[in-house]
Amino acid sequence: MSTPDDPIGFGESDLAHGETLLEVEELTKHFPADSGLLAGVNLEPGQFPPVSFGVDQVEAVDGVSLEIKKGETLGLVGESGCGKSTLGRTILRLLDPTDGTIRFKGEDLAELSGEELRRKRSEIQMIFQDPQSSLDPRMKVGQIIEEPMRAHDMFDDEGREARAKELLEKVGLDPRHYNRHPHAFSGGQRQRINLARALSVDPDFVVCDEPVSALDVSIQAQVMNTMEELQAEFGLTYLFIAHDLSVIRHISDRVAVMYLGHVVEVAEKEELFENPQHPYTKALLESIPVPDPRESGARGVLEGEVPSPQDPPSGCRFRTRCPRVIAPEEYELTDEEWGHTRAFMRAVKRRTFEPMTAADLRREFFDGDLPRGGAGEIVDEAIGYVATDRRTDDERGGDGDEDGVTDDDWERATELLLESFAERSICAREQPAYELEAQHGSDPHFAACHLHR
Amino acid sequence: MSEPLLRVENLKTQFFTESGTVRAVDGISFEVHEGEIVGLVGESGAGKSVASMSLMRLVEDPGEIVGGEITYRGETLFGLEEGPDGELRERDEMLSESEMRERIRGREIAVIFQDPMESLNPVFTVGGQLREFIELNRDLSSGEARDEAIRMLREVGIPDPAERYEEYPHQFSGGMRQRVLIAMALACEPSLIIADEPTTALDVTVEGQILDLVDDLQDRYDTSFVWVTHDMGVVAEICDRVNVMYLGEIVEQAPVDELFYDTNHPYTKALLDSMPRPDRTVDELDPIEGVMPEAIEPPSGCRFHPRCPDAREVCTRVHPETLEVDRADGYPHRTACVKHDVFDVDYDGSVPLEPGDEAETRVGGTGTEAGADSNSSSTGEEEPASPDGGDPQR
Repeated sequence: MSTPDDPIGFGESDLAHGETLLEVEELTKHFPADSGLLAGVNLEPGQFPPVSFGVDQVEAVDGVSLEIKKGETLGLVGESGCGKSTLGRTILRLLDPTDGTIRFKGEDLAELSGEELRRKRSEIQMIFQDPQSSLDPRMKVGQIIEEPMRAHDMFDDEGREARAKELLEKVGLDPRHYNRHPHAFSGGQRQRINLARALSVDPDFVVCDEPVSALDVSIQAQVMNTMEELQAEFGLTYLFIAHDLSVIRHISDRVAVMYLGHVVEVAEKEELFENPQHPYTKALLESIPVPDPRESGARGVLEGEVPSPQDPPSGCRFRTRCPRVIAPEEYELTDEEWGHTRAFMRAVKRRTFEPMTAADLRREFFDGDLPRGGAGEIVDEAIGYVATDRRTDDERGGDGDEDGVTDDDWERATELLLESFAERSICAREQPAYELEAQHGSDPHFAACHLHR
Repeated sequence: MSEPLLRVENLKTQFFTESGTVRAVDGISFEVHEGEIVGLVGESGAGKSVASMSLMRLVEDPGEIVGGEITYRGETLFGLEEGPDGELRERDEMLSESEMRERIRGREIAVIFQDPMESLNPVFTVGGQLREFIELNRDLSSGEARDEAIRMLREVGIPDPAERYEEYPHQFSGGMRQRVLIAMALACEPSLIIADEPTTALDVTVEGQILDLVDDLQDRYDTSFVWVTHDMGVVAEICDRVNVMYLGEIVEQAPVDELFYDTNHPYTKALLDSMPRPDRTVDELDPIEGVMPEAIEPPSGCRFHPRCPDAREVCTRVHPETLEVDRADGYPHRTACVKHDVFDVDYDGSVPLEPGDEAETRVGGTGTEAGADSNSSSTGEEEPASPDGGDPQR
C-alpha cells in the first residue's frame, strides 16, 4: 500500500478536508419536449388562430441547491426520471445548465466554455453505469486509461504507461492486463477499468452515475470497497448517484433525495435513514424490501405515479401523491374528514372505482358522513357528477347513456375537487424549504415539506 | 403432507455450444405446494431463469432438457425412460407439445417476465392483447372477454381501465406494464405462476406496489408462485420457502426464516454478508472473492470451493449432494456442503485450503471470464489483489 503522498497523485490539493469543494445554487436544466421543424407549433382547436407557438419544456432539474465538501461522498438518490443523472451531468457541464451557478473551488463552471472548460475537466471526472458501453471495445485497456492523460497533455508516453499500470494495480487489476481488450474482462473488472481511467488525470471530484447497479451483489460489494479505498488514498470527493437505497446507505456520508427535479431532503446519512422528515423519503424507505423475513413492517405504499415533468405540480411537487398533504385552511376540516376527502379526490382523479350510487359513494369513502360546512357541499356536488342515480337529464353532461358516467362528468368532478381542495392547500401554493435540527450528527437537515412550517 | 402441486426431480438442462456443453441447470430438485411462494435465488449465471423456463418446456435451441422429471398435479410435464437399446426416450405419459400449449401454458402455469416491454406487442393495444388472450384461453365471446379484460385491469390497480384499454404499451409506464402482465397471467386463474425477476426493472416504490399487489392477489386466488430473483430483500418479503442456486445447482433449500437465521451453506452466508443493508449501516462489506465461474467447465468437487472461505482439501474432491440437515415446520432444510455431519467425509480432518491453492484450482475452471481471471489468479502470491476482488484486508 502506498502512502497518501505517493507519487501517483501529483500536487497537493489546495483545499483542506471538509471545506466546500462544490456549491450548486438554483441549478436548473430544462429540455425542449419536442424537437424538429414544427416542434414549436402547437394546434389549439379551441381558439383563433388555432395555433400557438413555443416549445414545451421538460423541467428535468429545477432550482437545485447543494453543497459538496472535500473528501466526502454525497449520495444522490431518487427514482428513475427524477433528474438525478441530469443533475450529475449538468454539474460536469456535459449538459449546459438553463440557469444557476456551479461553483467549483470558487470558480463558476456554468460560466466557463471552450478551452477553459476543457482544462477544468481534468479535475472533475465521471464514471458511468454501463461498464460495457463506456469502454471502447477496439481500444486496449492501457490506451483507455491513458486517453484522458493524453487529452490533458500529461507526461510523456512512458510516464503515461507507468501511471496506467500503477492505476491498474490500485484498482485491483493485474498491471499485465495493460494490453488486453475490454471484452476479456467481467462487468466488475470493467467498472474497475472505468475507475482507473477516471483517476488517471488525478481529479478532485468524481461523479459516479449508478456505478454498481449493473453488477451482482457480491461483485457490487467488491467494487464499492475499492472505491472507498481509493477515496481515502487520493482524497477524492464523490457524487454518488444511485437508485438503490442500500448502496447509498453504505457508501455515502450525506444523502440528497430527489423527486421530479427537486431536491426534497438533504441530511447526514444516519439522520436521513433513521429520522427522515420528508413524506417522500419515508415512503421510499418503507418500500425497500428488507432482507430479513422477521421484519414485517407495514409498507406505506405510494398512490399513483410520478407526474410528467412537462407539467409538474405547483408548490411541492410531491403533493399529488403525498399521504400527508396539508388540508386547505379555509374549511377547518378535521384530520378524519380531510383523510376521507383526499382519498375521494384522488380516487375520482384516477377513476379507480366503478360508478355507483351516491349513497354507496358516501359509504365507501366517507363512512356515510360527509364533511361539515362548505367542504361537504363541494363533495356532495362532486358525488352528484359521478353517482349513477343522482342526475336529472339536464344535469347530465353530454351524451351519456342512462346510468353511465361520461368522461365529461369525471372531468367536472375532478376539476371541482382539485380546485376546491388540492389547489388551495399550502402545499400547492408555496414551494417548501425548511432547515431542521438534526437528531443524528451535527449537519443541518434540509427538508422541503410544509409539515415543518 | 399433501401431494405437491409441482415436483421437480433431478432436472438437467444443457446448452450445446461450439465451445462446449454448458450445464446451465445441473440436477436440481424442488417442490411447490398449493398456495406457496417458492423462491429461486442466485446471481446472474446461476441458472435460475433457465430452470424456470425448463418447467414450462420453453428452453430454446441450442438448449435442451436432458434429464430429470417434472410432475404437475400428477401429470408428467417432462420425463425420460430408457428404451430397449439403452437410449433415453420420452415417456409415453409425457404431455405432447400441443397438450402443453393447450392445457398447461397460460391455463395451469403462467409466466411473468422481467421486461414488460418485450412481453407486450407494441403494435397492438394493451386491452386488445389481454382480450385476445382471455378469448383464446377461456372460450369467451369477444364482448365478454373485453369486459373480463377491463375487470382484470381494474383488479391489478390500473386507473381508469376502460380508457387505458385502448392504449398502446408505450403509453404505459414500466410499473403499469408489469401490472398488465400480472393481469394477463392471472386472467386464466392458473394454479401456478412463474415470475422471472418481475420487479427487478422497477423503481423501489413501484416494486413495493407490485409486491403488495401479488400478496393481495395470492390471498384471493390462492395461486402458487415460483419467484425467480437475485434480491434477498424480495425473498425475505414474499417467499415461503427458498432455493439458493449456484452454478446450476441448488446449494441450499429451506423455509425463508431458516435460510436467513440458520444459514447452512457458506455461499448463502456470503451472499447475505456481501449485501449492503437498507435498515442499518454496515461499516464494512464482506464481499465474496472472485466471480462465479462459467457452467461450461465447473470446478471439481464442490462448485463453490474456489471462492469459499470454509473450503478444505476434501471440498476439491467430493461433490456434495443436496442433503437434509434439519427440518423446520415440516419442511426439510437441505444443503450441499460437506462441513455438515450428514456428509461424513471427514471434513474436520481435512486440510484447510490456502488462498494460493484456491487460485490454482480456479485456473482453467472458468470459461470466458478465465481469460482475465486465470492469469491474475495464478499470480496470487505476488499480487494480493484478487481478480475481481481487491480484497481490502490483505
